[in-house]
Amino acid sequence: MFAAAAAAAPRHGTMHNFFWVYDLPTETFAILMIAVFVGFYWAGLIFLRPILRQFVKNTRGANDIVGYVLSCFCVFYGLLLGLIAVTAYQNASDTSANVTHEAAALSALYEDVARYPDPYGQNLRWILRDYTRYVIKYAWPLQRQGVVPVDGSIRVQAFQEKLLDFQPTTPAQEILHAEALRQFNTFLEHRRMRLFSVNTAIPPVMWYVVILGAFINIAMVWLFDMKFITHLLLGGLLSAYLGTMIFLIAAMDHPFRGEVSVTAEPFEALYKHMVEE
Amino acid sequence: MGQRQVTGLTHSVSRRDFGRHAGAAATLAAAQAFAPFLFVGCVPTGVPSGRKPIRVGLLHSQTGTMAISEPSLRDVELFAFERINATGGLLGRQIEAWGPDPKSRTDLYPKRARELIDWGAAALFGCWTSSSRKELLPIIEERDRLLFYPVQYEGNESSAHVVYGGMVPNQQVLPVIDWLASPAGGGKKKIFLLGSDYVFPRTANFVAKKYMATRGMRPAGEMYLPLGHRDFGPVVSLIEASGADCVLSTINGDSNIGWFNALAAARIDPEKMPVVSTSIAEDELRNILPEQVAGHLAVSCYFQSLPTEANRRWVEDFRREFGHDRVTGDPLEPQWALVHFWREAVERADSLDTAAVRAAMREGLEFAGPGGLVQLDPKTQHCTHYFRVGRIRADRQFDIVYQSDAPIDPDPYPQIAFPGWSCDWTKGGITRGPEVSIDGDI
Repeated sequence: MFAAAAAAAPRHGTMHNFFWVYDLPTETFAILMIAVFVGFYWAGLIFLRPILRQFVKNTRGANDIVGYVLSCFCVFYGLLLGLIAVTAYQNASDTSANVTHEAAALSALYEDVARYPDPYGQNLRWILRDYTRYVIKYAWPLQRQGVVPVDGSIRVQAFQEKLLDFQPTTPAQEILHAEALRQFNTFLEHRRMRLFSVNTAIPPVMWYVVILGAFINIAMVWLFDMKFITHLLLGGLLSAYLGTMIFLIAAMDHPFRGEVSVTAEPFEALYKHMVEE
Repeated sequence: MGQRQVTGLTHSVSRRDFGRHAGAAATLAAAQAFAPFLFVGCVPTGVPSGRKPIRVGLLHSQTGTMAISEPSLRDVELFAFERINATGGLLGRQIEAWGPDPKSRTDLYPKRARELIDWGAAALFGCWTSSSRKELLPIIEERDRLLFYPVQYEGNESSAHVVYGGMVPNQQVLPVIDWLASPAGGGKKKIFLLGSDYVFPRTANFVAKKYMATRGMRPAGEMYLPLGHRDFGPVVSLIEASGADCVLSTINGDSNIGWFNALAAARIDPEKMPVVSTSIAEDELRNILPEQVAGHLAVSCYFQSLPTEANRRWVEDFRREFGHDRVTGDPLEPQWALVHFWREAVERADSLDTAAVRAAMREGLEFAGPGGLVQLDPKTQHCTHYFRVGRIRADRQFDIVYQSDAPIDPDPYPQIAFPGWSCDWTKGGITRGPEVSIDGDI
């Protein structure tokens, strides 16, 4: 619900067509990636290898040459994959930390306004509770689809309106009000950062390079002169690991998508506290 | 051929060997190639599967003067839709709601309604003030959508595109005059009519004056103040000077805060001059200090303190979802019923088409809600309601001091105020009488 109240997800060209993989369970996603890579390798072994082998057919020591080139290539490709994996992990980790900070700021704000005299205090708490519920029930499913939820801003505006409506009458209230305003700004910062990170992802161009690298890697293995069964087995293993690596990066990419993603757990814990207090 | 010949880096295989290897590899490759298509059919996580959701629009102000009342209505609507979704949805589809903020600005309601209809809302739920509802009428009629309106209002209106869930004057204002004049109500005869300055208070008081005239009564005074007005000190002085023994208040929104504040400042005793509010419920009471408002009265079709098992369960469920200190009240209960009427009508019609849903409603619907049995009158598209009077307690709840024996049928055109006018959608719609000027005589 409240899906329309959201900014449309930006399209990442052809990458957009692959977002359905995030709707799969993680293990299925992993098996699928391995299956695609191994399948591609085996299919190429049958249909493309005879053609590619023509290039090295009469070359003495071709296996050694291909081996050297492959080793050299793998250094660069491995570095690239490693860096991208770290970037994806960092993105997910930063987003997770920011979500925790937003929930913490929200919690602190909730406690601050609880000290306000009623009805101000109660109204402000209700709005914050409503905001938290909205984030859990409506914003998070949208974020998982790569859609930036915007209805939360209505709740934030309602809170701000009520917060600014309060006129402190004692020095203690003045201090409390100033602290609540400071906490509100902290909360706003983290909220904005969460919204910005909904579509945080590895740029499509990097994915193109990764896919091209994987293809070259597999193509080089096709060039080896080995028994067919050995080819199937060794090449298959290499392809399976390539698929696993790329699965790992893809699973961590898009911090709110898929099962390996940032969850609303901090908000859920907070909401439980809010409704049960 | 036939024998493997090892020549440098290459080797050749027999046709039989090649065929065997190729066959095995092709089988494996084919299995792998088809794997993605098999996996595509796996159940996705986190995203609801199935058909496109049914979209509905919620039109409630979440900021501005009406933010004191309307967000709770939005919550109860979401609560109802979530419940429907949890039990399989409607017509096998999930319900998806969107509630943009009209910011308590009457001019923004039509704009938001257009946005909702353009988005694909099959029906709209919302509004509080009559002025906002009236602003929507041209749009919902032009775009053929139903508006489910939960709040008590002034009557004198019947749109085929609106399902009215709240009380009309013959269910609220007229019975309260009878009750106030009765010994149980204190035999009050000098009633001061005070309201916010918009269509509901003016029309409701117009009907009240006509009715009082039939009982040989005259209002002690009549006054209207803009929505959002806070300074009621001079108003209280004027009411005291009028000699009124009771105030019938149709003040809406956060003006009630200033109003009761001024009453308390003037030390008005609720025993001697009670205020009977038509637009105060548990939600509004949260914003008023209990010592300022305790002892005054409100008229409604539902109070949270209603001692029935169905009500206790509903209140508990609502609080479990939204927090232990949340309150229900009128018009949350009527809106709860309206959502269920809509669901039942859509199911009966097996369609979201407005005409089909309306036709299903005209067969007559009823719903056993927390406040008792509610029936949707097919003639007027209004609801039957119990008439209840509650005395405000110090804990911001109500002691129910009077309840009608049975639900009262709705009459949006009481003949004392709108002679010749009537509505029966099962027989052609509205019968028009002479034009009525609300500010003056017929």
